[in-house]
Amino acid sequence: MTNGSGTPQPSSNRLAKIFTDVQFWVPVAVLLAGLFLLEWIR
Amino acid sequence: MSAPPTFESPQPSRSRSLELLGIFSGLTAGAWLGAAEAPTKLVTLGLSPMVISLVMVVGVFLARWSLPALILGASSIRADARRAPHLIIWAILAGCLWAVANTLTVYAIRDIGLSIAFPLWNSNSLLGILWGFLFFNELRGAGLTRWLGVLGGTLVMCVGAAILAVASSGAHAAGENPAHGVLAALGAGVLWGTMYIPYRKAYLSGMNPLSFVTFFTIGELGMMSALSFGTLGAQTLFAQLTSARGVIFWLMLGGFIWVIGDLFQQYAAKYVGISRGIPLSNTNQLWGLLWGVLVFGELHGRSSTTYAQVIGGSLLMIFGVAAIALSSASPKESAQWRAAARRESNRYALSAEFVEARMDGRQSAGEAAPSRGALDWLFVALATAVFLYFATIARVPNIPAHWTPAILLSIISLILLAACGLRLWRTTRFQ
Repeated sequence: MTNGSGTPQPSSNRLAKIFTDVQFWVPVAVLLAGLFLLEWIR
Repeated sequence: MSAPPTFESPQPSRSRSLELLGIFSGLTAGAWLGAAEAPTKLVTLGLSPMVISLVMVVGVFLARWSLPALILGASSIRADARRAPHLIIWAILAGCLWAVANTLTVYAIRDIGLSIAFPLWNSNSLLGILWGFLFFNELRGAGLTRWLGVLGGTLVMCVGAAILAVASSGAHAAGENPAHGVLAALGAGVLWGTMYIPYRKAYLSGMNPLSFVTFFTIGELGMMSALSFGTLGAQTLFAQLTSARGVIFWLMLGGFIWVIGDLFQQYAAKYVGISRGIPLSNTNQLWGLLWGVLVFGELHGRSSTTYAQVIGGSLLMIFGVAAIALSSASPKESAQWRAAARRESNRYALSAEFVEARMDGRQSAGEAAPSRGALDWLFVALATAVFLYFATIARVPNIPAHWTPAILLSIISLILLAACGLRLWRTTRFQ
Protein backbone atom coordinates (compact mmCIF):
# COMPACT_ATOMS: atom_id res chain seq x y z
CA MET A 1 0.00 0.00 0.00
CA THR A 2 1.21 3.51 -0.72
CA ASN A 3 0.41 6.96 0.50
CA GLY A 4 -0.44 9.94 -1.67
CA SER A 5 3.17 10.35 -2.78
CA GLY A 6 3.69 6.65 -3.44
CA THR A 7 5.63 5.84 -0.25
CA PRO A 8 4.93 2.24 0.88
CA GLN A 9 3.57 1.77 4.39
CA PRO A 10 5.06 -1.21 6.30
CA SER A 11 2.48 -3.67 7.60
CA SER A 12 3.77 -3.36 11.20
CA ASN A 13 3.09 0.35 11.00
CA ARG A 14 -0.38 -0.37 9.64
CA LEU A 15 -1.14 -2.73 12.54
CA ALA A 16 0.02 -0.09 15.02
CA LYS A 17 -2.35 2.40 13.37
CA ILE A 18 -5.23 -0.08 13.66
CA PHE A 19 -4.60 -0.91 17.31
CA THR A 20 -4.43 2.75 18.30
CA ASP A 21 -7.62 3.65 16.43
CA VAL A 22 -10.59 4.20 18.72
CA GLN A 23 -12.85 3.26 15.79
CA PHE A 24 -11.40 -0.24 16.05
CA TRP A 25 -11.76 -0.65 19.80
CA VAL A 26 -15.36 0.60 20.07
CA PRO A 27 -16.76 -2.17 17.77
CA VAL A 28 -14.45 -4.76 19.40
CA ALA A 29 -15.66 -3.79 22.90
CA VAL A 30 -19.31 -3.86 21.76
CA LEU A 31 -18.80 -7.27 20.11
CA LEU A 32 -17.23 -8.74 23.26
CA ALA A 33 -20.01 -7.28 25.39
CA GLY A 34 -22.56 -8.78 22.99
CA LEU A 35 -20.97 -12.23 23.20
CA PHE A 36 -20.87 -11.98 26.99
CA LEU A 37 -24.56 -10.97 27.06
CA LEU A 38 -25.47 -13.86 24.75
CA GLU A 39 -23.63 -16.36 26.94
CA TRP A 40 -25.28 -14.95 30.06
CA ILE A 41 -28.87 -15.04 28.84
CA ARG A 42 -28.66 -18.45 27.17
CA MET B 1 8.24 13.98 3.42
CA SER B 2 4.98 13.69 1.52
CA ALA B 3 2.62 16.60 1.13
CA PRO B 4 -0.66 16.31 3.06
CA PRO B 5 -3.51 15.11 0.89
CA THR B 6 -6.00 17.68 -0.28
CA PHE B 7 -9.71 17.23 -0.85
CA GLU B 8 -11.67 19.51 -3.08
CA SER B 9 -15.44 19.79 -2.94
CA PRO B 10 -17.15 18.39 -6.03
CA GLN B 11 -19.44 20.53 -8.17
CA PRO B 12 -22.66 21.37 -6.26
CA SER B 13 -24.72 19.64 -8.96
CA ARG B 14 -22.60 16.46 -8.55
CA SER B 15 -23.00 16.59 -4.75
CA ARG B 16 -26.76 16.94 -5.11
CA SER B 17 -26.89 14.11 -7.62
CA LEU B 18 -24.94 11.79 -5.27
CA GLU B 19 -27.14 12.76 -2.37
CA LEU B 20 -30.34 12.01 -4.28
CA LEU B 21 -28.77 8.71 -5.29
CA GLY B 22 -28.10 7.93 -1.61
CA ILE B 23 -31.72 8.71 -0.68
CA PHE B 24 -33.04 6.59 -3.57
CA SER B 25 -30.70 3.76 -2.54
CA GLY B 26 -31.95 3.93 1.06
CA LEU B 27 -35.59 3.69 -0.03
CA THR B 28 -34.88 0.86 -2.47
CA ALA B 29 -33.01 -0.93 0.31
CA GLY B 30 -36.14 -0.70 2.46
CA ALA B 31 -38.26 -2.34 -0.25
CA TRP B 32 -35.88 -5.27 -0.76
CA LEU B 33 -35.03 -5.81 2.91
CA GLY B 34 -38.79 -5.94 3.56
CA ALA B 35 -39.36 -8.33 0.64
CA ALA B 36 -36.73 -10.67 2.11
CA GLU B 37 -39.21 -11.57 4.83
CA ALA B 38 -41.64 -13.06 2.30
CA PRO B 39 -39.80 -16.34 1.50
CA THR B 40 -39.19 -16.97 5.21
CA LYS B 41 -42.93 -16.70 5.87
CA LEU B 42 -43.36 -19.78 3.68
CA VAL B 43 -41.42 -21.81 6.24
CA THR B 44 -43.78 -23.13 8.85
CA LEU B 45 -41.79 -26.09 10.20
CA GLY B 46 -40.80 -26.18 13.85
CA LEU B 47 -37.16 -25.37 13.16
CA SER B 48 -34.80 -23.76 15.65
CA PRO B 49 -34.49 -20.00 14.92
CA MET B 50 -30.73 -20.55 14.97
CA VAL B 51 -30.99 -23.01 12.06
CA ILE B 52 -33.25 -20.62 10.14
CA SER B 53 -30.69 -17.82 10.63
CA LEU B 54 -27.78 -20.07 9.64
CA VAL B 55 -29.41 -21.24 6.40
CA MET B 56 -30.37 -17.67 5.50
CA VAL B 57 -26.76 -16.59 6.13
CA VAL B 58 -25.54 -19.34 3.78
CA GLY B 59 -27.79 -17.81 1.09
CA VAL B 60 -26.43 -14.40 2.05
CA PHE B 61 -22.84 -15.70 1.74
CA LEU B 62 -23.44 -17.09 -1.74
CA ALA B 63 -25.09 -13.85 -2.85
CA ARG B 64 -22.37 -11.67 -1.35
CA TRP B 65 -19.67 -13.53 -3.28
CA SER B 66 -21.51 -13.99 -6.58
CA LEU B 67 -23.22 -10.58 -7.00
CA PRO B 68 -20.02 -8.50 -6.53
CA ALA B 69 -18.20 -10.93 -8.86
CA LEU B 70 -20.93 -10.47 -11.45
CA ILE B 71 -21.18 -6.67 -11.14
CA LEU B 72 -17.58 -5.68 -10.44
CA GLY B 73 -15.30 -8.68 -10.86
CA ALA B 74 -12.96 -10.23 -8.29
CA SER B 75 -9.97 -8.32 -9.69
CA SER B 76 -11.51 -4.99 -8.60
CA ILE B 77 -12.27 -6.41 -5.17
CA ARG B 78 -8.66 -7.62 -4.82
CA ALA B 79 -7.40 -4.19 -5.93
CA ASP B 80 -9.59 -2.51 -3.29
CA ALA B 81 -8.23 -4.87 -0.63
CA ARG B 82 -4.64 -4.11 -1.67
CA ARG B 83 -5.23 -0.36 -1.46
CA ALA B 84 -6.77 -0.47 2.02
CA PRO B 85 -6.05 -3.88 3.60
CA HIS B 86 -6.83 -2.59 7.09
CA LEU B 87 -10.51 -2.35 6.12
CA ILE B 88 -10.77 -6.13 5.79
CA ILE B 89 -10.52 -6.31 9.59
CA TRP B 90 -13.35 -3.80 9.98
CA ALA B 91 -15.50 -5.60 7.41
CA ILE B 92 -15.10 -8.95 9.22
CA LEU B 93 -15.72 -7.22 12.56
CA ALA B 94 -18.96 -5.74 11.18
CA GLY B 95 -20.05 -9.20 9.98
CA CYS B 96 -19.45 -10.63 13.49
CA LEU B 97 -21.45 -7.78 15.05
CA TRP B 98 -24.35 -8.52 12.69
CA ALA B 99 -24.39 -12.23 13.53
CA VAL B 100 -24.36 -11.73 17.31
CA ALA B 101 -27.08 -9.05 17.05
CA ASN B 102 -29.22 -11.31 14.90
CA THR B 103 -28.88 -14.15 17.43
CA LEU B 104 -29.78 -11.83 20.32
CA THR B 105 -33.05 -10.94 18.56
CA VAL B 106 -34.03 -14.62 18.66
CA TYR B 107 -33.80 -14.60 22.45
CA ALA B 108 -35.48 -11.19 22.69
CA ILE B 109 -38.52 -12.38 20.70
CA ARG B 110 -38.68 -15.56 22.78
CA ASP B 111 -38.70 -13.68 26.09
CA ILE B 112 -40.67 -10.48 25.43
CA GLY B 113 -42.28 -10.86 21.99
CA LEU B 114 -41.74 -8.89 18.81
CA SER B 115 -43.93 -5.91 19.79
CA ILE B 116 -41.67 -4.96 22.70
CA ALA B 117 -38.39 -6.25 21.27
CA PHE B 118 -38.61 -4.51 17.89
CA PRO B 119 -38.78 -0.90 19.13
CA LEU B 120 -35.88 -1.62 21.49
CA TRP B 121 -33.50 -2.91 18.83
CA ASN B 122 -34.76 -0.37 16.30
CA SER B 123 -32.91 2.20 18.40
CA ASN B 124 -29.86 1.19 16.30
CA SER B 125 -30.52 4.13 13.94
CA LEU B 126 -30.24 6.58 16.86
CA LEU B 127 -26.93 5.05 17.87
CA GLY B 128 -25.85 5.27 14.21
CA ILE B 129 -26.49 9.03 14.36
CA LEU B 130 -24.36 9.29 17.52
CA TRP B 131 -21.42 7.37 16.02
CA GLY B 132 -21.75 9.28 12.75
CA PHE B 133 -21.54 12.55 14.65
CA LEU B 134 -18.71 11.51 16.98
CA PHE B 135 -16.43 9.70 14.54
CA PHE B 136 -17.26 10.88 11.03
CA ASN B 137 -18.32 14.53 11.43
CA GLU B 138 -21.85 13.80 10.25
CA LEU B 139 -24.35 16.58 11.03
CA ARG B 140 -21.50 18.89 12.10
CA GLY B 141 -22.17 22.38 10.83
CA ALA B 142 -25.57 21.13 9.70
CA GLY B 143 -27.64 23.80 11.44
CA LEU B 144 -30.67 23.42 13.68
CA THR B 145 -33.18 22.74 10.87
CA ARG B 146 -31.22 19.78 9.49
CA TRP B 147 -30.58 18.44 12.99
CA LEU B 148 -34.29 18.59 13.69
CA GLY B 149 -35.04 16.97 10.33
CA VAL B 150 -32.68 14.02 10.84
CA LEU B 151 -33.02 13.43 14.58
CA GLY B 152 -36.72 14.34 14.68
CA GLY B 153 -37.42 12.27 11.56
CA THR B 154 -35.61 9.27 13.05
CA LEU B 155 -37.48 9.58 16.35
CA VAL B 156 -40.82 9.83 14.53
CA MET B 157 -39.88 6.75 12.49
CA CYS B 158 -39.01 4.86 15.69
CA VAL B 159 -42.43 5.71 17.19
CA GLY B 160 -44.16 4.70 13.92
CA ALA B 161 -42.18 1.44 13.83
CA ALA B 162 -43.12 0.72 17.45
CA ILE B 163 -46.84 1.22 16.67
CA LEU B 164 -46.57 -1.06 13.63
CA ALA B 165 -44.78 -3.71 15.69
CA VAL B 166 -47.53 -3.63 18.34
CA ALA B 167 -50.25 -3.83 15.66
CA SER B 168 -48.70 -6.61 13.62
CA SER B 169 -47.64 -8.99 16.38
CA GLY B 170 -50.08 -11.21 18.17
CA ALA B 171 -50.39 -11.62 21.93
CA HIS B 172 -47.19 -12.98 23.42
CA ALA B 173 -47.08 -15.14 26.52
CA ALA B 174 -44.49 -13.86 28.98
CA GLY B 175 -41.19 -15.70 28.67
CA GLU B 176 -39.23 -17.19 31.55
CA ASN B 177 -37.09 -14.13 31.98
CA PRO B 178 -38.42 -10.83 30.54
CA ALA B 179 -35.40 -8.89 31.84
CA HIS B 180 -33.15 -11.07 29.69
CA GLY B 181 -35.39 -10.35 26.70
CA VAL B 182 -35.15 -6.58 27.22
CA LEU B 183 -31.36 -6.79 27.55
CA ALA B 184 -31.10 -8.97 24.45
CA ALA B 185 -33.18 -6.52 22.38
CA LEU B 186 -31.23 -3.50 23.62
CA GLY B 187 -27.97 -5.39 23.03
CA ALA B 188 -28.99 -6.17 19.44
CA GLY B 189 -29.71 -2.46 18.90
CA VAL B 190 -26.29 -1.47 20.26
CA LEU B 191 -24.50 -4.10 18.14
CA TRP B 192 -26.33 -3.13 14.93
CA GLY B 193 -25.87 0.59 15.64
CA THR B 194 -22.13 0.04 16.16
CA MET B 195 -21.88 -2.08 13.01
CA TYR B 196 -22.29 1.16 11.04
CA ILE B 197 -18.88 2.42 12.24
CA PRO B 198 -17.05 0.00 9.89
CA TYR B 199 -19.51 0.83 7.08
CA ARG B 200 -18.84 4.54 7.17
CA LYS B 201 -15.11 4.11 7.78
CA ALA B 202 -14.82 1.95 4.66
CA TYR B 203 -16.67 4.42 2.46
CA LEU B 204 -14.77 7.44 3.73
CA SER B 205 -11.62 5.48 2.81
CA GLY B 206 -12.79 4.91 -0.75
CA MET B 207 -13.62 1.20 -0.55
CA ASN B 208 -16.31 0.04 -2.96
CA PRO B 209 -19.46 -1.21 -1.12
CA LEU B 210 -19.33 -4.39 -3.23
CA SER B 211 -15.81 -5.10 -1.97
CA PHE B 212 -16.79 -4.35 1.62
CA VAL B 213 -19.69 -6.82 1.69
CA THR B 214 -17.49 -9.58 0.25
CA PHE B 215 -15.30 -9.45 3.37
CA PHE B 216 -18.19 -8.62 5.70
CA THR B 217 -19.81 -11.96 4.96
CA ILE B 218 -16.76 -13.93 6.15
CA GLY B 219 -17.36 -12.55 9.66
CA GLU B 220 -21.10 -13.03 9.26
CA LEU B 221 -20.98 -16.70 8.23
CA GLY B 222 -18.05 -17.55 10.53
CA MET B 223 -19.71 -16.10 13.64
CA MET B 224 -23.16 -17.48 12.76
CA SER B 225 -21.70 -20.99 12.25
CA ALA B 226 -19.79 -20.78 15.55
CA LEU B 227 -22.90 -19.66 17.42
CA SER B 228 -25.07 -22.38 15.85
CA PHE B 229 -22.55 -25.13 16.65
CA GLY B 230 -22.05 -23.73 20.14
CA THR B 231 -25.77 -23.49 20.89
CA LEU B 232 -27.16 -26.64 19.28
CA GLY B 233 -24.17 -28.94 18.98
CA ALA B 234 -23.06 -30.56 15.72
CA GLN B 235 -25.44 -33.53 15.98
CA THR B 236 -28.65 -31.54 16.56
CA LEU B 237 -27.63 -28.95 13.98
CA PHE B 238 -27.02 -31.64 11.34
CA ALA B 239 -30.28 -33.40 12.19
CA GLN B 240 -32.26 -30.15 11.89
CA LEU B 241 -30.56 -29.24 8.61
CA THR B 242 -31.38 -32.66 7.20
CA SER B 243 -35.01 -32.42 8.24
CA ALA B 244 -35.18 -28.91 6.75
CA ARG B 245 -34.01 -29.99 3.27
CA GLY B 246 -37.34 -29.10 1.70
CA VAL B 247 -37.35 -25.51 2.94
CA ILE B 248 -33.65 -24.65 2.61
CA PHE B 249 -34.30 -23.04 -0.79
CA TRP B 250 -36.90 -20.60 0.60
CA LEU B 251 -34.62 -19.55 3.44
CA MET B 252 -31.64 -19.11 1.13
CA LEU B 253 -33.84 -17.13 -1.27
CA GLY B 254 -34.78 -14.85 1.65
CA GLY B 255 -31.05 -14.37 2.31
CA PHE B 256 -30.40 -13.62 -1.37
CA ILE B 257 -33.16 -10.99 -1.54
CA TRP B 258 -31.89 -9.53 1.73
CA VAL B 259 -28.43 -9.07 0.18
CA ILE B 260 -29.88 -7.04 -2.70
CA GLY B 261 -31.50 -4.72 -0.13
CA ASP B 262 -28.32 -4.60 1.92
CA LEU B 263 -26.25 -3.60 -1.13
CA PHE B 264 -28.49 -0.57 -1.65
CA GLN B 265 -28.20 0.17 2.08
CA GLN B 266 -24.42 0.23 1.69
CA TYR B 267 -24.68 2.78 -1.13
CA ALA B 268 -27.06 4.86 1.01
CA ALA B 269 -24.51 4.79 3.87
CA LYS B 270 -21.84 5.84 1.39
CA TYR B 271 -23.64 8.77 -0.25
CA VAL B 272 -25.80 10.22 2.55
CA GLY B 273 -23.94 8.89 5.60
CA ILE B 274 -25.17 6.55 8.30
CA SER B 275 -27.23 9.19 10.13
CA ARG B 276 -29.56 9.53 7.11
CA GLY B 277 -29.01 6.27 5.18
CA ILE B 278 -29.85 3.86 7.98
CA PRO B 279 -33.21 5.38 9.00
CA LEU B 280 -34.22 5.52 5.34
CA SER B 281 -33.52 1.82 4.83
CA ASN B 282 -35.35 1.03 8.08
CA THR B 283 -38.52 1.56 6.03
CA ASN B 284 -38.18 -2.18 5.41
CA GLN B 285 -40.68 -2.66 8.22
CA LEU B 286 -43.36 -0.94 6.12
CA TRP B 287 -42.65 -3.20 3.15
CA GLY B 288 -42.53 -6.30 5.36
CA LEU B 289 -45.94 -5.34 6.70
CA LEU B 290 -47.31 -4.81 3.17
CA TRP B 291 -46.18 -8.34 2.22
CA GLY B 292 -47.60 -9.76 5.43
CA VAL B 293 -50.98 -8.03 5.15
CA LEU B 294 -51.62 -8.16 1.39
CA VAL B 295 -50.02 -11.50 0.50
CA PHE B 296 -50.30 -13.60 3.65
CA GLY B 297 -53.46 -11.99 5.09
CA GLU B 298 -51.80 -11.51 8.45
CA LEU B 299 -54.18 -8.93 9.89
CA HIS B 300 -57.31 -10.53 8.47
CA GLY B 301 -60.22 -10.29 10.90
CA ARG B 302 -58.39 -8.04 13.37
CA SER B 303 -60.11 -5.11 15.08
CA SER B 304 -60.47 -1.63 13.61
CA THR B 305 -58.06 -0.42 16.33
CA THR B 306 -55.35 -2.60 14.80
CA TYR B 307 -55.99 -1.18 11.33
CA ALA B 308 -55.92 2.35 12.78
CA GLN B 309 -52.57 1.55 14.42
CA VAL B 310 -51.19 0.25 11.12
CA ILE B 311 -52.31 3.34 9.19
CA GLY B 312 -51.08 5.72 11.91
CA GLY B 313 -47.73 3.95 12.29
CA SER B 314 -47.21 3.88 8.52
CA LEU B 315 -48.00 7.59 8.18
CA LEU B 316 -45.57 8.43 10.97
CA MET B 317 -42.85 6.43 9.23
CA ILE B 318 -43.55 8.21 5.94
CA PHE B 319 -43.38 11.63 7.68
CA GLY B 320 -40.07 10.62 9.27
CA VAL B 321 -38.65 9.51 5.92
CA ALA B 322 -39.72 12.80 4.29
CA ALA B 323 -38.10 14.84 7.08
CA ILE B 324 -34.81 12.97 6.71
CA ALA B 325 -34.84 13.03 2.90
CA LEU B 326 -35.42 16.80 2.90
CA SER B 327 -32.57 17.44 5.36
CA SER B 328 -29.78 17.17 2.80
CA ALA B 329 -26.21 17.87 3.88
CA SER B 330 -25.21 21.53 3.58
CA PRO B 331 -21.90 22.49 1.91
CA LYS B 332 -20.55 23.13 5.43
CA GLU B 333 -21.48 19.60 6.52
CA SER B 334 -20.08 18.09 3.31
CA ALA B 335 -16.79 19.86 4.07
CA GLN B 336 -16.81 18.14 7.48
CA TRP B 337 -17.30 14.73 5.80
CA ARG B 338 -14.25 15.48 3.68
CA ALA B 339 -12.30 16.36 6.81
CA ALA B 340 -13.20 12.92 8.21
CA ALA B 341 -12.06 11.31 4.95
CA ARG B 342 -8.81 13.29 5.18
CA ARG B 343 -8.26 11.85 8.65
CA GLU B 344 -8.59 8.30 7.28
CA SER B 345 -6.39 9.12 4.32
CA ASN B 346 -3.65 10.59 6.51
CA ARG B 347 -3.79 7.89 9.16
CA TYR B 348 -3.67 4.91 6.80
CA ALA B 349 -1.56 6.54 4.08
CA LEU B 350 -4.22 6.19 1.40
CA SER B 351 -3.91 7.99 -1.89
CA ALA B 352 -5.75 11.29 -1.53
CA GLU B 353 -6.67 11.27 -5.19
CA PHE B 354 -8.12 7.75 -4.87
CA VAL B 355 -10.21 8.55 -1.78
CA GLU B 356 -11.48 11.78 -3.28
CA ALA B 357 -12.44 10.09 -6.55
CA ARG B 358 -14.30 7.31 -4.77
CA MET B 359 -16.16 9.75 -2.50
CA ASP B 360 -17.16 11.54 -5.67
CA GLY B 361 -18.47 8.25 -7.07
CA ARG B 362 -15.91 7.76 -9.83
CA GLN B 363 -12.77 5.77 -10.55
CA SER B 364 -9.40 7.29 -9.71
CA ALA B 365 -6.89 8.21 -12.40
CA GLY B 366 -5.07 5.18 -13.76
CA GLU B 367 -7.43 2.71 -12.09
CA ALA B 368 -8.20 -0.29 -14.27
CA ALA B 369 -11.81 -0.57 -15.40
CA PRO B 370 -13.69 -3.43 -13.69
CA SER B 371 -13.51 -6.65 -15.68
CA ARG B 372 -14.72 -10.18 -15.12
CA GLY B 373 -12.59 -13.29 -15.50
CA ALA B 374 -13.03 -17.05 -15.27
CA LEU B 375 -12.98 -16.95 -11.45
CA ASP B 376 -15.95 -14.56 -11.40
CA TRP B 377 -18.02 -16.78 -13.67
CA LEU B 378 -17.06 -19.74 -11.50
CA PHE B 379 -18.44 -17.97 -8.39
CA VAL B 380 -21.64 -17.14 -10.23
CA ALA B 381 -22.00 -20.68 -11.64
CA LEU B 382 -21.37 -22.28 -8.21
CA ALA B 383 -23.88 -20.05 -6.44
CA THR B 384 -26.46 -20.65 -9.18
CA ALA B 385 -25.88 -24.42 -9.02
CA VAL B 386 -26.39 -24.49 -5.24
CA PHE B 387 -29.60 -22.48 -5.53
CA LEU B 388 -30.85 -24.66 -8.39
CA TYR B 389 -30.08 -27.85 -6.46
CA PHE B 390 -32.06 -26.73 -3.41
CA ALA B 391 -34.86 -25.44 -5.68
CA THR B 392 -35.25 -28.92 -7.17
CA ILE B 393 -35.73 -30.51 -3.74
CA ALA B 394 -37.80 -27.64 -2.32
CA ARG B 395 -41.31 -28.40 -1.13
CA VAL B 396 -44.00 -26.10 -2.49
CA PRO B 397 -45.46 -24.60 0.66
CA ASN B 398 -49.06 -25.39 1.39
CA ILE B 399 -50.07 -22.10 2.97
CA PRO B 400 -52.70 -19.67 1.73
CA ALA B 401 -51.22 -16.70 -0.10
CA HIS B 402 -52.73 -14.07 -2.38
CA TRP B 403 -50.70 -14.19 -5.56
CA THR B 404 -51.98 -11.02 -7.28
CA PRO B 405 -50.61 -8.64 -4.62
CA ALA B 406 -47.46 -10.82 -4.46
CA ILE B 407 -46.89 -10.29 -8.18
CA LEU B 408 -47.65 -6.57 -7.88
CA LEU B 409 -45.24 -6.09 -4.97
CA SER B 410 -42.59 -8.10 -6.84
CA ILE B 411 -43.02 -5.88 -9.91
CA ILE B 412 -42.71 -2.71 -7.79
CA SER B 413 -39.55 -4.09 -6.13
CA LEU B 414 -38.08 -5.02 -9.52
CA ILE B 415 -38.86 -1.56 -10.93
CA LEU B 416 -37.10 0.03 -7.93
CA LEU B 417 -34.15 -2.35 -8.42
CA ALA B 418 -33.87 -1.51 -12.12
CA ALA B 419 -34.33 2.24 -11.66
CA CYS B 420 -31.94 2.60 -8.73
CA GLY B 421 -29.43 0.14 -10.22
CA LEU B 422 -29.45 2.06 -13.50
CA ARG B 423 -29.00 5.35 -11.71
CA LEU B 424 -26.12 3.91 -9.66
CA TRP B 425 -24.52 2.64 -12.86
CA ARG B 426 -24.95 5.91 -14.77
CA THR B 427 -23.81 8.14 -11.91
CA THR B 428 -21.07 6.08 -10.29
CA ARG B 429 -20.49 2.88 -12.31
CA PHE B 430 -21.28 1.13 -8.98
CA GLN B 431 -18.39 2.90 -7.24
